[in-house]
Amino acid sequence: MDNKITEKKRVLRRRVRDFCEREIVPIAKEIDQEASFPWEVVDKMGKLGYFGIQAPPELGGAGMDTLSYTIVIEEISRACGALGLCTSVHNSVALFPILAFGSDEQKKRWAPSLARGEKIGAFCLTEPNAGSDASGIESTAIRDGDHYVVNANKALVTNGGVADTCLIFTRTDPEAGRRGISVIVVERDTTGFKTGDLENLMGMRANPVASIRLTDCRVPKENLLSKEGMGLKIGLAALDVGRIGIAAQAVGIAQAALEASVHYANQRHQFGVPIANHQAIQFMIADMATEIEASRLLVLQAAKLRDRNKPFSQESAMAKLFATETSSRVTDKAVQIHGGYGYSKSYPVERYYRDARITRIYEGTAEIHRMVIAKGVLQQY
Amino acid sequence: MKLNIIVCIKSTVLHASGVNIIRAPELSELNPFDLPVLETALLLKKKLGGSVTALSMGPQEAGASALCEALAMGVDKAVLLCDKALAGSDTLATSTALGAVIAKLDQFDLVLFGTRTCDSDTGHVGPQTATLLDLPFISNVNSIEQIDTGLRIERMLDEYMETYEISPPAALTIHPNSVQPRDISLMGIQEAFEKDKVKTMSLADIGLSPEQVGETGSGTKVLSMKQVSRKRICDFIEGTVEQQSDELLECLKKKGIIG
Repeated sequence: MDNKITEKKRVLRRRVRDFCEREIVPIAKEIDQEASFPWEVVDKMGKLGYFGIQAPPELGGAGMDTLSYTIVIEEISRACGALGLCTSVHNSVALFPILAFGSDEQKKRWAPSLARGEKIGAFCLTEPNAGSDASGIESTAIRDGDHYVVNANKALVTNGGVADTCLIFTRTDPEAGRRGISVIVVERDTTGFKTGDLENLMGMRANPVASIRLTDCRVPKENLLSKEGMGLKIGLAALDVGRIGIAAQAVGIAQAALEASVHYANQRHQFGVPIANHQAIQFMIADMATEIEASRLLVLQAAKLRDRNKPFSQESAMAKLFATETSSRVTDKAVQIHGGYGYSKSYPVERYYRDARITRIYEGTAEIHRMVIAKGVLQQY
Repeated sequence: MKLNIIVCIKSTVLHASGVNIIRAPELSELNPFDLPVLETALLLKKKLGGSVTALSMGPQEAGASALCEALAMGVDKAVLLCDKALAGSDTLATSTALGAVIAKLDQFDLVLFGTRTCDSDTGHVGPQTATLLDLPFISNVNSIEQIDTGLRIERMLDEYMETYEISPPAALTIHPNSVQPRDISLMGIQEAFEKDKVKTMSLADIGLSPEQVGETGSGTKVLSMKQVSRKRICDFIEGTVEQQSDELLECLKKKGIIG
């Protein structure tokens, strides 16, 4: 049975890679430079199940496990970090909370169109005064009969420019502190829903990151996910899963940088030999490959624990911390190996370098992860 | 007319270090020349109805994996011929074995093959199997269309197209550029690997003795295999862009790369 599972993962990686190399790699540079969202490819990805990797088949998904999810995200990110981000966020922090905390009615209402990629999801937690400290949320959702009246100013929303189904973290009880935060699903066509200008980002430029402003949006009370006051619990559960995806994304970007560096090092001659013959380059390649493999194994461990229904918060935090910092180190070395050309847009490593940088910030900064990990470790011994 | 189609596919070897090839799953993948064949069969089924059965011969894990990919693409059934006595079979012994399985399977209208495999690259198995089964055979097929009297088949040659009419049953090899194979969905992979749909058959099941296959049933034997490295020459083309492109075109024409 183990062999069959291994074989399934191998086929999955190969087929996703085939798709990404044919459909995404050729446009990755252009969509980065033009900061454009590739709807045509996204549509194909939706039909192939990339937007509902873990959603059950009866809700339009592929019904795969977390390990498969990390393989798909890694491979998409190897081709294009921004699309890896789009799919990771959509699958983990937008669709997963609906599947995990939604009623049957809510799942039937929102999950199929998200799982098939017909609609894009977004996780709207960050605000001008709330990020790592989610308890600083100032958005409000005040009950008015059978509706909530939502006012929110959400910042730096991944997929924000294109998202149809948005999970809004908001205060249903402004007096209740952390316990007054709830999640309300607001759809793009709701009156009062407005997207701000797209952020002009350093990397991940093909992802339409934008602010979302909700002004007196009246949404039915049935759009409340789970119960009032469950917001932070839903958010933290989603981020635990999301971190595995971001870690896989970081591995994918680093892998692309490693492969580009190996090709370049074998082809570029200096002092009469390929630069790959120089020990200085070999040591960088060795460190890059080793750290990527270690990151991939941390991702694998977190994913396997989740698939076995074991606690995985600590492991997902470790995977995210290590993989994202690895991705920054590896892409930095990739630029170094490419020399001056690595700083030019003629080669893809400058994009990998820019894309990798944000992975250390979103879905929990490296500093927050160190706090989370330290808290666990300090209680352990 | 519904068509019941058998598609013969192979789990090909990605790396070889000598004559003794290791057919481990991690060193194998579904022959890329078989993907357009599976696509052709699935499109025919969609248009005309019937069924598609994928058939492969090989070791359990690598063979089953290739067949799961075929199932993930949408074939109805998958059959793996797996027997230790098959080890060392050349293309003749392979055709003998595949022919015996096909003769045992349900009634069929078409048996389809890739034109060749990406590892051994002989192109023998399709025509040999057709001969052993006494089936009419057309190679490099580009399109298949149903007509009143049977099927109209177009066959690609370098700069020509031949048109045939046949009445099934028949065997065909499908031109690799005839159709773009579909992408395999995650749903397809999940279902193919979760549901155990690959039927495994042994030599005993198809009524062959070990002597008829493997090295004893083979007409040829590979004596040695070594890697040949080709020297790559880099030519610089000088002149204006127009002169360079003209010269490049001329060079490609001379080498027969473009017509």
